[in-house]
Amino acid sequence: MKKVLALTMVAAMTLGLAACGSKPAETTAAPAATTAAAAETTAAAAETQAAAETEAAAEAGDFKFDKTVNVYITHGAGGDTDYMARMLSQALEQELGVSVVCSNVTGSNGATCMQQYKDGDTDGYTFIATNTAALTGNEATGMVDFGYDAFEPVAIYGIQSGENLVVPADAPYDTLADLIEATKANPGQIKLGISTGGGVYIEACVLTNLGGAQFNLIDAGDGASRLTALLGGEVDATSLPYSTAADYIENGQLKSLCTLLSKAPTLLPDQPAASETIPELVIDTMYAVLAPKGTDPAAVKAMNDAILKVTSTDDWKQKCNDYSFQDPFVLNVDDTIAELKNQRDLFQSFKPFL
Amino acid sequence: MLLEGLMAVMQPVTIFLIAVGVAVGIIFGSIPGLTATMAIVMFLPATYSMSASQGISMLMALYIGGISGGLISAILLNIPGTPSSVATCFDGKPMADKGEAGKALGTGVVFSFIGTLIGIAILIVLTPVLCDFALKFQAYEYCALAIFSLSMVIALTGHDMPKGLISAVLGALLATAGLAPIDSKPRFTFGLFQMNNGFALLVLLIGLFAISEVMAYAESVRKDQGFTIESNAKIKGAGFSLKEGIAQIPNAIVSSLIGVGIGILPGIGGGVSCMISYTVSKNTSKHPQLYGTGIMDGVVASESANNATIGGAMIPLLALGIPGDACTAMLLGGLQVHNVAPGPLIYEKNGAVVYAIFFAMIVSAIFMMLFMLLGMRFFIAVLKVPKNYLLPIVLVLCGIGAIGNANMVFDTYVMVGFGLMSYLMIKSKIPTVPMILGFILGPTFETNLRRVSQLASSDPFYHHPIFCVLMIATILVVIFSVRSNLKEAKRAEAEELAAEAAASAAAKTE
Repeated sequence: MKKVLALTMVAAMTLGLAACGSKPAETTAAPAATTAAAAETTAAAAETQAAAETEAAAEAGDFKFDKTVNVYITHGAGGDTDYMARMLSQALEQELGVSVVCSNVTGSNGATCMQQYKDGDTDGYTFIATNTAALTGNEATGMVDFGYDAFEPVAIYGIQSGENLVVPADAPYDTLADLIEATKANPGQIKLGISTGGGVYIEACVLTNLGGAQFNLIDAGDGASRLTALLGGEVDATSLPYSTAADYIENGQLKSLCTLLSKAPTLLPDQPAASETIPELVIDTMYAVLAPKGTDPAAVKAMNDAILKVTSTDDWKQKCNDYSFQDPFVLNVDDTIAELKNQRDLFQSFKPFL
Repeated sequence: MLLEGLMAVMQPVTIFLIAVGVAVGIIFGSIPGLTATMAIVMFLPATYSMSASQGISMLMALYIGGISGGLISAILLNIPGTPSSVATCFDGKPMADKGEAGKALGTGVVFSFIGTLIGIAILIVLTPVLCDFALKFQAYEYCALAIFSLSMVIALTGHDMPKGLISAVLGALLATAGLAPIDSKPRFTFGLFQMNNGFALLVLLIGLFAISEVMAYAESVRKDQGFTIESNAKIKGAGFSLKEGIAQIPNAIVSSLIGVGIGILPGIGGGVSCMISYTVSKNTSKHPQLYGTGIMDGVVASESANNATIGGAMIPLLALGIPGDACTAMLLGGLQVHNVAPGPLIYEKNGAVVYAIFFAMIVSAIFMMLFMLLGMRFFIAVLKVPKNYLLPIVLVLCGIGAIGNANMVFDTYVMVGFGLMSYLMIKSKIPTVPMILGFILGPTFETNLRRVSQLASSDPFYHHPIFCVLMIATILVVIFSVRSNLKEAKRAEAEELAAEAAASAAAKTE
């Protein structure tokens, strides 16, 4: 009897655990649809929903989404790329009437995910959410041998708050031009904290090769580590996302010399752009949705239409304002391809000195 | 603001979310292959649509539950549920083998609770002071800290030092696979893009501890010794007497302080803190020879340290906006999506949320102790499940965990590979624990050494007092450990010679 009981327990445990087991695969449906542990029910619900709302989907043109859409996010949970992708998926879920399931596949600045899914299913239910700096930057630095043209670009649906060149508030320079002059006066002594291989690395290479700056380039890791290094005095200047540095700028510990966006964010209009000093120094990091190469153009168009629609609401505007100090920025398929080509051409022009 | 924070947590919904979070955290923590980090990853998106204090309360509950749950499988199965409970196996398993599983679990749970509270207390009181300390740790200091911590390997391995070093160096070498730090040059990837990220700590951990445990068990299957371990299922209270508990308090305080200290330093984490405090506890104990034989001291040292690390890791996260490990990195994201920006102004801008976090941590710690003490009976029942049913289940879960870590099936092959390696290591009596230390600290050392080499031209080492102190301390630790090891070896040799001489003398007289 006892043995039977024990076996039953094991069986029950296994089932329970198997249910848990599906979770760490980071497969969570967009937050709106998910209450804590309802991962399995979502799939079932999706079918009934799909049946009920085919009409809504019909508006999206020739292509009808009638089963679960998978979105693979190239960066980790908690970061800006993840947040934007999940907010978009949540809105799309309501618009399309089918489940939109997000999974993070991270590593190598997004290259792992893009490599894994660039030749993924072309049935119109597989999408990749990434940012343009990762897409074009990884190609320019030679980390991967493919660019945006290895995918079917679907949409650009947002723009980041941007990287800022940041120095301690008591530093003797107030503009990018001052800083560059200071490095020339004292070659190799002003330390610029960078993270080799990423956008900040590209920025440093442009500063050196096109701006004539003579920094001592110090690897200081990701955004948080670069902040530590700057506060701890290990480096004299570094590049940080505005949101990371905002508090320190406000309380007078740090100051921002310029933004690397081509144009300052809508809600932070006073910042000068780096391109005023060095025209080529532009890193417009945008959030993009891609589909595997060969995906049905009708599906791409339908998805783009849906994205255009859900990002035109006041709610979406508020989210962009709050999170990235930006107004909504969304492009149709053709403009998306044109923008990606622009960014790629710019980054490729840096290739000789990367 | 204090009241506002308290109010935010003391709502039924928030309390419920905390209870769910702790329970899920404990489950994730206790299952080898699933970790606190995964629990947070999974639930983070769900918190996007909650209020700031609800969301962060739930994440804190998952974090505390996840780190605490690891002790269950460490004690009962000798497989650490999370990297943070590696050192709990050392004494927890022998205790369980002696039939004291209940006592070991009770000790682990209560001292996890105490460790968490000490961590929270330090977080609340000393944050401003300790922030400056965290900022002083830069490339030079990390470099020295990594070497210093690695020198602990000698103490961890006892008298067979060469084998300990082999293990640690192998660990550090394994960590070099993948894209190199700083210049992102692929190393040992054999053209496989799956290898670009290198080996994951989790996969190595499963391979080293879970797979090898299953294989070692498979060996003993034919020797019929009964498939279950009997244990004193009748547990009163926490399984140990008040007197025994009080005697452990100094040990718990020292270990918690070590845990907090390591927590404050970004990038080191609970896996290292439990091992270091175990070593320190052993070396400062009056009865170091008993460590590893199944005494409370070892469990106390490991479990209070890893839980105190939570409070420590929250210090730089809240006050500087700098996450110390994968878990806190996700907490940072969880705060930012609610427009709570951790940093020097967090008290002024979002004081209520900060206090809500403190209260949520305290409530989570209480739930954690409650759930685990109540659940102890059931956990021990796991030991009654015949191992030939239990271990295959564990194995499957490990595989799921390995896949879930990065959504790659490739990692299960790696897991099996590490399992085979680990089995061979155990067969040749090479300890596996130093390998984990080497694996974690090797990259810290390499990255910072390379940064130091960039810095050296404009910032020489003698400007860094902490670096100098740590290096001198390392040299002293090595000299003393080697000397005491040599002495021990000599004594053993002398005893052997004496015994031989006596034997031959006895033979002659005959």
